[in-house]
Amino acid sequence: MLVKRSSGKAPRGSLLRALSGDFNGAGNLESGVSRRGFLRRSGLAAGGIAAIGALPAAMIRRSEAGPVLPDVELVTRKNVCTHCSVGCTVIAEVQNGVWVGQEPGWESPINQGTHCAKGASVRELTKGTRRVKYPLKLVDGEWKRLSWDQAIEEIGTRLLEIRQASGPDAVFWLGSAKFSNEGAYLYRKLAAFWGTNNVDHQARICHSTTVAGVANTWGYGAMTNSYNDIQNSKALLIVGGNPAEAHPVSLQHMLRGKEHNRAPFIVIDPRFTRTAAHATEYVRIRPGTDIPIAWGLLWHIFENGWEDKEYIRQRVYGMDEIRAEVRKWTPEEVERVTGVPGSQVRRVAEAIARNKPSTVIWCMGITQHTVGTANVRALSILQLALGNIGVEGGGANIYRGHCNVQGATDFGLDVTTLPAYYGLAEGAWKHFGRVWDVDYDYLKGRFGSKDLMEAKGIPTTRWFDAVLARPDQIDQPSPLRAMVCFGHGGNTVTRMPEMIKGLEKLSLLVIADPHPTTFAAIKERRDGTYILPTCTQFETDGSRTCSNRSMQWGEKVVEPIFESKDDYTIMYLLARKLGFADEMFKHITVEETRPVPEDILREMNRGCLAIGATGQSPERLKMHMKHQADFDKITMRATSGPCAGDYYGLPWPCWGHPEIRHPGSAILYDTSKSVMDGGGGFRARFGVERNGVSLLADGSYPKGSEIEDGYPEFTMAVLRKLGWDKDLTPEEMRVVEAVGGGKTDEVSWQTDLSMGIIRVALKHGCVPYGNAKARAVAWSLPDPVPVHREPIYSPRPDLVKAYPAIEDRRDFRLVQLARSLQFKAAESDLRGKFPMVLTSGRLVEYEGGGEETRSNPWLAELQQSMFAEINRKDAERLGIRDGSWIWVHGPENAGRAKVRALVTDRVGTGTVFMPFHFSGQWQGDSLRRNYPPDTDPIVLGEPVNGVTTYGYDPVTFMQETKVTLCRVEPA
Amino acid sequence: MKPEEPGQKAGPRQKAGLERRDLLKSLGLGAAGAAAATVMPHGTAQAAESPRDQVKARYRETDHVKRFYALNRL
Amino acid sequence: MARMKFLCDAERCIECNACVTACKNEHEVPWGINRRRVVTLDDGVPGERSISMACMHCNDPPCAAVCPVDCFIQTADGVVLHSKDLCIGCGYCFYACPFGAPQYPQTTNFGSRGKMDKCTFCAGGPEADGSVEEYQKYGSNRLAEGKLPLCAEMCSTRALMAGDGEVLADIYQERSARRGYGSGAAGWSVAYGQHDRGSPFAPGGPSTGGA
Repeated sequence: MLVKRSSGKAPRGSLLRALSGDFNGAGNLESGVSRRGFLRRSGLAAGGIAAIGALPAAMIRRSEAGPVLPDVELVTRKNVCTHCSVGCTVIAEVQNGVWVGQEPGWESPINQGTHCAKGASVRELTKGTRRVKYPLKLVDGEWKRLSWDQAIEEIGTRLLEIRQASGPDAVFWLGSAKFSNEGAYLYRKLAAFWGTNNVDHQARICHSTTVAGVANTWGYGAMTNSYNDIQNSKALLIVGGNPAEAHPVSLQHMLRGKEHNRAPFIVIDPRFTRTAAHATEYVRIRPGTDIPIAWGLLWHIFENGWEDKEYIRQRVYGMDEIRAEVRKWTPEEVERVTGVPGSQVRRVAEAIARNKPSTVIWCMGITQHTVGTANVRALSILQLALGNIGVEGGGANIYRGHCNVQGATDFGLDVTTLPAYYGLAEGAWKHFGRVWDVDYDYLKGRFGSKDLMEAKGIPTTRWFDAVLARPDQIDQPSPLRAMVCFGHGGNTVTRMPEMIKGLEKLSLLVIADPHPTTFAAIKERRDGTYILPTCTQFETDGSRTCSNRSMQWGEKVVEPIFESKDDYTIMYLLARKLGFADEMFKHITVEETRPVPEDILREMNRGCLAIGATGQSPERLKMHMKHQADFDKITMRATSGPCAGDYYGLPWPCWGHPEIRHPGSAILYDTSKSVMDGGGGFRARFGVERNGVSLLADGSYPKGSEIEDGYPEFTMAVLRKLGWDKDLTPEEMRVVEAVGGGKTDEVSWQTDLSMGIIRVALKHGCVPYGNAKARAVAWSLPDPVPVHREPIYSPRPDLVKAYPAIEDRRDFRLVQLARSLQFKAAESDLRGKFPMVLTSGRLVEYEGGGEETRSNPWLAELQQSMFAEINRKDAERLGIRDGSWIWVHGPENAGRAKVRALVTDRVGTGTVFMPFHFSGQWQGDSLRRNYPPDTDPIVLGEPVNGVTTYGYDPVTFMQETKVTLCRVEPA
Repeated sequence: MKPEEPGQKAGPRQKAGLERRDLLKSLGLGAAGAAAATVMPHGTAQAAESPRDQVKARYRETDHVKRFYALNRL
Repeated sequence: MARMKFLCDAERCIECNACVTACKNEHEVPWGINRRRVVTLDDGVPGERSISMACMHCNDPPCAAVCPVDCFIQTADGVVLHSKDLCIGCGYCFYACPFGAPQYPQTTNFGSRGKMDKCTFCAGGPEADGSVEEYQKYGSNRLAEGKLPLCAEMCSTRALMAGDGEVLADIYQERSARRGYGSGAAGWSVAYGQHDRGSPFAPGGPSTGGA
């Protein structure tokens, strides 16, 4: 059995050995932490008993949720998995208000009933043995229970004191990719009414560089196609992503594509991942050399004339400047920098060029770098050169991380923009002033100044630098003094030793979360921390956007457990205490203290024109959930029933009012479809001309367009020029005039709250945002043409002079070091002391910071130890046995972590891999006693970010988590 | 707010007590502790199947099952 | 009559462990007992393949052959069940099983390991179908509800299949023919004997690497 591509070992023998378990040695915890070591040993459950002994008693309590009881009404509710961005439908069976069973949801066009380990265990979240059960406050190192009223009163009073003394920008509002869309929007609105742009969420640390990179290339910051559409791909190129662990259900579509089309399935990664195990070709690169590999592929494509010349002529600006840069990346130079042989690069280039449409898939291996945005742009340009964007089976299939990180980004949980990417300029504030029905001057009065109102805030990667900064190091009136943190792990950003110093100095820390998070367990903090028990998305309702931009409505499965409340309610309580609830909830119904999510979505529909988040009314979304069975499982389009013609979840842009029934856009920039059918061109976002060259599309336009060429975005001026202004109704015209205030020509499709301009553009077969070229050269970015830059802590000091980091600079209200630090590291021969490369990544059983998943016994049992993967040869050289304890040391702040060694060829020699989900142990000590009673996760471990180091992308301040230096020693 | 669900919001202290007892049950007796769920309460009538019923076929090719097969063919 | 079988397609299995947690979830299986688990061969090197393993519900099951108290029952559709009322926790079945399926809640040098627990193909045990007693001892009985084992129903990539062996063999054959190769249906010949369908793409056929 298992003969294909096997390595000649006796597989039957290993299977039997693996299955039979080790009867006598079962209790010996030293015996191996190879990922499933525990399970292999548990044949006779001896290991199981040992593990139970080590567990807090509560973990094996009997659940109230037992069998499905006869003669008791069984209610079925439909929600969406709260882990990754695939958006798997969860079918919950509820009896007596308790979630008693989970069934497969066959109808979902996305997951079709399937789940990964996390999705198949979500029912446990509402059993919640390790959940925070009531509000808590840290008093001199002790956790004290308090009532909700008292908690909100105390928190609010302290926030107002800080505001009074230091201004609104002294508070950092950290939101969550686990919010619903309505929660994300509401939190951004809360920060706006508080008067700060210091409001951020996990997108900063997962795909902020993707959003910036692709939006600066072709207009919008999102996956262009969908997971399902990968079934149409003739070749798959996965770079810096491990979807088999991070997005397992997506593999269903990818493997079907691979099988049906006999598609080459190519994985480029420093680590032989579980995704690579299914690849037809695996390319091992040195971490941090993605641009050289992308240019190396393009070198062969240009050399052989495999590019799509007509597509480039019609739809791409600036490809010649790319050619000039690519010319430098000869096969020899690519091999010198990346370590990949020229013949393999050529083979891959040919596979993706000759098997079209081909898709490129990436994840955090591309984004979490000091050159993250440039990495993203290089891959985008590769796809443009091949003519793969805007076609079925092609696309940039960017796998977002959390269940609603796309939606939370779209709805503005971000330091650089208001909802729907309107930015922070005066016009954006005025637009939202109109949407919210509050005066612009009122909003301005909430901020420290107009300048601060329009300045990018402090990103979550560096909040602690903003706490510790001296006044001259920070471009706002005061360093941060308080942090309000909803749904966010504390171990997710790099440089944790410095994060802890920042944490210690905060005068107020508020954690609103189902679990206490790492922040609560840090022993240096003894006072001024509050924990507000917040329920999961299974205990409330609202919509979430999956990676492919489909919005799905989740139905409340059970009431919030223990004393927890949902995000909406907590935000309302805070706003009420802080004194702006009446303005903030002017047009949102609040039932007792709970804002109604449907109403929040309606307000979003009214205002978020710029991404076409207007047609997804709560009624339509609920109808889609109800009639999932009517949607095709590849095109995602309903063929019959009340949703006929719609794409599942109305992926944005879904233009205009819900009543005009735009179907959503399954594939962005697809000119083969008419606009009312979900088609479009590239967005005209960067002007109409540059250096005498037109930026508008040349002879390419969506099917059925009345303008058979490129055109700019629609404004009243454009409508008048075309003579289409007469198509506006008098009511629409009245709104346009009111918005324009005397300058009606400037009113655009993005600000016309009547949506008349959009309606008229659609009527003539045109896209409201215009029809332009994608830009291969993004002149507004630090590197207009992506260039390779060595990581700050480069394992190749010999390449640093040739490929230096960017110059030191200031941005996001802070100083950013880059080249000075890189040169210092290279010159001080840091490599002598830290000879190995450290990279980090994800495991299938856990998610994000991991508190929630490490608290779930069904998952925790599968992965009981933090570990570091180290190559067999390195282990031999260092005298490290598989499963033994080792120290991993980092080059900054004496960072170190004590973990188990997993000796494997999965990583190459000289590379160390650590998963990022662990926390609760710190430099050899357990922090278990610091958690509030009965809330400590089952599994604790050292956070990898205790070892990771400085390094930020210049465009978004994304952190570098994928390349630093380290030293490994036996412990 | 809706009324609290029974059995779901018991005070934490009370809950901890229950959990400890359950631990003893599943560790101590080992009898039905092996079972998927928990020890059977005393005095519950056994609803054993007759020997013939025990070996009867349980599988039926329902719509649910047909759907599963169809999805596996994709 | 339909014969219930499991089939794990190693070309699809990505070791995501959904089958493992689905099983825990469906039957409230306690910590330390693993009715199902995923086994990986050649971990971390090209050729790495994973398969999900549990009780295969064999023809002529060896566990039943060695059981001193005769606690096993095989249903007409091939599912191997056992009676926890009869089981004495001797552990013989564990040694007999080629798949390491039987699990025990405790370990002692002498005496009982507790009542054996294993995969029931989501078919409960020798208690009345769907009764509370049945659930408490063996977990839920999906087969009687007209459903299939939840591990297979929830498998992320449709690697693990459960149901009528004839149908599964057909599906596997279609997949192998589509791919032009197979990697064998792990455990099939051990559990169900040599396959005689004759097609090169049938589970265990020559184009699938045999089993």
